[in-house]
Amino acid sequence: MGCCYSSENETTEQDPERKPLIPHPNPISKPPNGTDWITTTVPSARTDEQALLTSILHKTAQNIIDVSAADSVMMEQHEYMDKARQYSTKLAVLSSSLSQKKALTLPSLTSQPHQVLASDLVPYSDVQQVSKIAAYAYSAISQIKVDAKEELVVQFAIP
Amino acid sequence: MMESTLEQHLDDTMKNPAVVGVLCTDQQGHNLGCRGSLSDEHGGVVSVLAKQAAALSRDPTDAPTVCLESESGNILVRSHGTITIAVHKIAS
Repeated sequence: MGCCYSSENETTEQDPERKPLIPHPNPISKPPNGTDWITTTVPSARTDEQALLTSILHKTAQNIIDVSAADSVMMEQHEYMDKARQYSTKLAVLSSSLSQKKALTLPSLTSQPHQVLASDLVPYSDVQQVSKIAAYAYSAISQIKVDAKEELVVQFAIP
Repeated sequence: MMESTLEQHLDDTMKNPAVVGVLCTDQQGHNLGCRGSLSDEHGGVVSVLAKQAAALSRDPTDAPTVCLESESGNILVRSHGTITIAVHKIAS
């Protein structure tokens, strides 16, 4: 979710693995990445206003998909292939479990629609019957109520 | 038991001739009780069918009955208030 840098900006500068090989030519134009962006422009001690600004920038950064940051991430060819393989394996696993869930259907659906369409209409007595069953069930449900037998909130025996 | 009336009603429904399954679900497809050929996982489909059918009518008091027909029997779906009932009847 969101900006590729935003969630881990606290460690961006320290982590050698995530440090860009080529430094950004213009740090001011760099998108708001949270704390490191603040410290380059205003190095003085934090005030409440700064804290507020930081939180606003942080929230904004979370809502932005930072394309320029994504471009600066170097990825080797084999690394890219590894990731692609990893994702497709995961997708294959997920899609197989998904198709199993879709198999759940209502019982006994027809394979011969012409036979069903040519048959008699649904008896009106059946429609009345299901309507009556639904009404009874509704009244049965409305009888369900909470039967409080003991206190939900109890006092601990604090001396 | 609070829900004993409903459970009894479902049992009684199953005693009707040709009825092989019954299911009661709420508006969210949560199963409130079922018997026979209709089970837990059908709750979602049943509640959505009733909801979509009701959306076809402008009159909110005119609750439709959805009937799924097949050569071996019918599944009738009907809402009443906050609940939806599905009854599976085999051809007699």
